[in-house]
Amino acid sequence: MTLQVISVDGIRALLSNLIREGRVVAPHERPGDDQYVFDDLKDPDDAVLRYNSTILPAKKYAFPPKESLVHYELGDEPTATPVVQAEPLTLFGVHPCDIHGLLALDAAFADQHPEANYLEKRANMRVIGIDCEPDEYCFCASMGTASVETGYDLFLTPLYGWDEFLLEVATEAGEQMLEGIDTRDATGPQVGYLKMHLNRKMQQEREIHSDVSNLPLLFTGFADSPVWEKHAEKCYGCGTCNLTCPTCFCFDVLDEMDLSLGSGDRVREWDGCMLEGFARVAGGENFREERAERLRHRFYRKYAYLYTKYGMPYCCGCGRCVRQCLVNIDPVEVINDLIATHREGVTASG
Amino acid sequence: MASHVCECEVERDLYVPRMATITKIDELTQMEKLFRLEMNDGVGLAQQPGQFVQVCCFGIGEAPISMASMDDSTAGFDLCVRNVGNVTAALHTASEGSIVGIRGPYGRGFDTEDLKGNDILIVAGGIGMVPLRSLIQALLTDRQAYGAVSILYGFKTPAEMLFAEEVGRWSELGDVDVHLTVDRPHPDWDGHVGVVTTLFPELSIKPNQTKAIIVGPPIMYQFVITEARLKGIADEDMILSLERHMKCGVGKCGHCQINSKYVCLDGPVFTYSELKYMWEAI
Repeated sequence: MTLQVISVDGIRALLSNLIREGRVVAPHERPGDDQYVFDDLKDPDDAVLRYNSTILPAKKYAFPPKESLVHYELGDEPTATPVVQAEPLTLFGVHPCDIHGLLALDAAFADQHPEANYLEKRANMRVIGIDCEPDEYCFCASMGTASVETGYDLFLTPLYGWDEFLLEVATEAGEQMLEGIDTRDATGPQVGYLKMHLNRKMQQEREIHSDVSNLPLLFTGFADSPVWEKHAEKCYGCGTCNLTCPTCFCFDVLDEMDLSLGSGDRVREWDGCMLEGFARVAGGENFREERAERLRHRFYRKYAYLYTKYGMPYCCGCGRCVRQCLVNIDPVEVINDLIATHREGVTASG
Repeated sequence: MASHVCECEVERDLYVPRMATITKIDELTQMEKLFRLEMNDGVGLAQQPGQFVQVCCFGIGEAPISMASMDDSTAGFDLCVRNVGNVTAALHTASEGSIVGIRGPYGRGFDTEDLKGNDILIVAGGIGMVPLRSLIQALLTDRQAYGAVSILYGFKTPAEMLFAEEVGRWSELGDVDVHLTVDRPHPDWDGHVGVVTTLFPELSIKPNQTKAIIVGPPIMYQFVITEARLKGIADEDMILSLERHMKCGVGKCGHCQINSKYVCLDGPVFTYSELKYMWEAI
């Protein structure tokens, strides 16, 4: 891996080129509050390079909150045709956690029935990653997602002072994007800074008291834990944690007719396993009626079921769920609580 | 980039239904209608007994419905639909000639190869008879491949019995032992009264060569499993089918997940030994 160095001006020039070429999405500061959002980039100067987290993760460009799957025309001979919307798109400024989130979704949507709607959007996507400074909600160090080795074309790591960046070119597409952009080879000390940056990033206030790879095994003992009830007691069941999560991908499917009533679309919308009706069937039976059951299911899906199935945790430690949670249900706290309670239980029963 | 995302061939038609025409409608009970459908392209579903399809009424939506008939090498098949939701209500207003969309068949059905050579004990509760009908049809088509076949079928009231004529024919075959029961006494009923488990004491089975196939409402499972265990049937010889509301049918939407299993891919048919350590399953 040869590393180069690019200035902020170089990045603006790169973005300027990309905007001329096609659609670019980058983090923006939302007017009126200190939150950030991914949005279409019109002016290269609007792209924020240094930010903690966006409200919604970059997944919304591969798995939009709402999209059509099928278009149908009614009549004597109804027809149904697939709708696969995928246009070239460059995602700029994606943090390692969000890249891990996309890699997790890749595995799920490619499994068994590879889904065109998601995968073709991904195939049309170029990713320029950027490294970050964790805030008090981040726990990527615990999840093993503080750095990333694949899933991007270019990756930027800020050098001291944030006016220059180390630039890793990972793909041919990345190389092409850099045509006509000034970069220079990184010096030894600059390359050394990369390690220092990562070391500093790994120092996080909040950490899970277990190696992430032990979680699926640990979770085999947590099913009946009183900890679920304890934390679910304050949960509103609003589903915000689901909606802001880079690795959540559950959806609902519904029909929307055009005003003419002659045609319509079968659309999918983000759904959430924390919402009360998620596991309800037609006869009224609800297989996860209690909030504690739903909380447990969500955690098991992230740290055990899908982890075991696809070999990576379905949590990238971005902290969005607790950052946006109205009652501060914090996965780090819940998992540590589970581990502690379980240890006590084991000790007490000898 | 993204070439590394998936080397696989994507399924562009994953969510696109094929058209089918309703060719016959029988009103079985106040709540249930039996639909005969025919695929418009003439290509049958080649379904395994116990699989399901996603049925759609355009403009209303999709719902997962169990196959009610075995594959008969034609483009036709049966669905028995209880009127309980938006899509099923729309289906109940459909008439012969109406066109609906079909995706599937999906899931793991009953493995008739695995059942062969065994005695078969079928326990049906209410609408659980619908997927079981597809299995019973398959058993009867190849009757000599199986040992003794017993069917226990319970329903709330006589009026709620499904496939009454057909069940009557099964009991007249001579080589199928059919026991019926209603939950509570009823003026129109002179047969056995009590929930389906009350049929177990009079049952004589050889546990080591019996497979029990149990389908009914969630409440029924624990009780029937207890009775089947008392009869000596092993957990891996009890076969159940679970109901969940699949929105996609292809392992993506998350709605039918029980522990690490997707009912749409890994089920809906499971052995009890697969389910017994999974909370929320039954």
